[in-house]
Amino acid sequence: MSKLLIVDDEADVREFAANFFRKRKIDVITASSGEEAIEIIEKQKPDLLLLDIKMGGIDGVETLRRVKQKDRDLKVIMVTGRKPEEDAFEACRRLGALDYIHKPLELDELEQVVLKELS
Amino acid sequence: MAIDYKRELENAAKSMILVHKPDTLIKMIVRMIVQKVEVRHAGIVLYLKDKNTYVLTVSRGPTGTKIPAGFARMDNDNPLIRIFAENKYRRILNSNALVYGETKNFLRRKKIRPDLKNILNGALRQMEMFETVTCIPSYFRNDLLGVLLLGVKKNGGKFNQKELDFFVALASDVAMAIRNAQLFRELELEIDKTHRLFINTTITLAAAIDAKDHYTRNHISRVTSLALAIADKLSQRNERVFEKKFIENLQIAGLLHDIGKIGIPEAILNKRGSLNDEERRIIKEHPNVGVGILKTIPELNESLLGVKYHHEKFDGTGYPDGLKGGQIPLIAAIISVADTFDAMITDRPYRKALPKAKVIDEIRRESGKQFNPEVASALIELYREKKI
Repeated sequence: MSKLLIVDDEADVREFAANFFRKRKIDVITASSGEEAIEIIEKQKPDLLLLDIKMGGIDGVETLRRVKQKDRDLKVIMVTGRKPEEDAFEACRRLGALDYIHKPLELDELEQVVLKELS
Repeated sequence: MAIDYKRELENAAKSMILVHKPDTLIKMIVRMIVQKVEVRHAGIVLYLKDKNTYVLTVSRGPTGTKIPAGFARMDNDNPLIRIFAENKYRRILNSNALVYGETKNFLRRKKIRPDLKNILNGALRQMEMFETVTCIPSYFRNDLLGVLLLGVKKNGGKFNQKELDFFVALASDVAMAIRNAQLFRELELEIDKTHRLFINTTITLAAAIDAKDHYTRNHISRVTSLALAIADKLSQRNERVFEKKFIENLQIAGLLHDIGKIGIPEAILNKRGSLNDEERRIIKEHPNVGVGILKTIPELNESLLGVKYHHEKFDGTGYPDGLKGGQIPLIAAIISVADTFDAMITDRPYRKALPKAKVIDEIRRESGKQFNPEVASALIELYREKKI
């Protein structure tokens, strides 16, 4: 079974997204911060990261940078606000993020983007 | 326990009249549904004009079934939106609610047009993703404002017709309330916009007068700020409580008080030596010339008093009408003090600027003679506080 790591500092988002993908037969783990995500990745080796850009502590861009330093091939999809800051957007592209999903998002789109990378 | 739906509806309608903020209202409704109807969760997607999409604004229920507010959206091409928004589907639906089980059966039983089949299947898929079993649309006129999404009932049962009717009635009340709140907000913005346009036009006009009179550059904007500061001081002292309208009128009067100078030859306005009788007579016409220019605009009636009487003196020796004391409208008395103060502290064709301290002495001396004492003392206090 594919393993998805959801990184978001909002508990409601983590809970909902985790349930959403578990129902689609995906093994889901969650992290509430970038720091926690980095720890989890070392131990649990997820196949895909769903990473929120705007977080307290180290943000999504910085998390992406550190994660990619350790494992260049780890797949990461960024979750951004409706109007992400151009800088952050550009940074993620350079750091090798696969895709972006804008909040508020269509659940369809969320499903497709994630399933495509995990199949 | 059975719910008295009629009463709940009446209660809801009453609350809606009291609440003007759509957000608060929607939260209230969803909370009420989750509590009274005992559904696992409930949410509302609402059309947001600026984003041109429907966003899940409120969602309540236990963690995990609740979708975080602002997380999910439905675009105009989402089947669950299309089925409620597009007339060709609305007609076929024939009922205001879309119920998951019934729709599934309907799709199994009948021969259905392919496009309808597609859209219904798409809508059912959306319902699965949002974990809703009943969707109720909210319309205002022909526009879909939002959709109420209901989860399964806690006891696992189906909604009966009475419950569905209740939701439909509730959704239509919600639509009306949301629409009212939005219209109210739009109206406020519109009024604000018109008002800004008006003030900006006035400022432009004032700048035109300023440009004509070389020595009074920026005089008008300084007089206006000073007049507003005096009004502020008067209300701080609790001697006067001004309505917002008065302050606006004062601002306009400040900007336009010399508009009548448009009709006076520049040779007279900028003359270096003293004026002869004829020239003095012409200058003294400017308040009435100003009134002539502005009187066609009824909204300016009160400001017009400031334009007309800003050269009246408290002791009755001013012009154009020789009004005395309390006969002089306060708006004019304020402009008069601000105008004189600013004229004295700046260079004029016939003399150099005077030091502020000296001007304040003069204002104090003229209090009760040229100036309304209350207004003069407000100006003196502003000077003492180093605010001017």
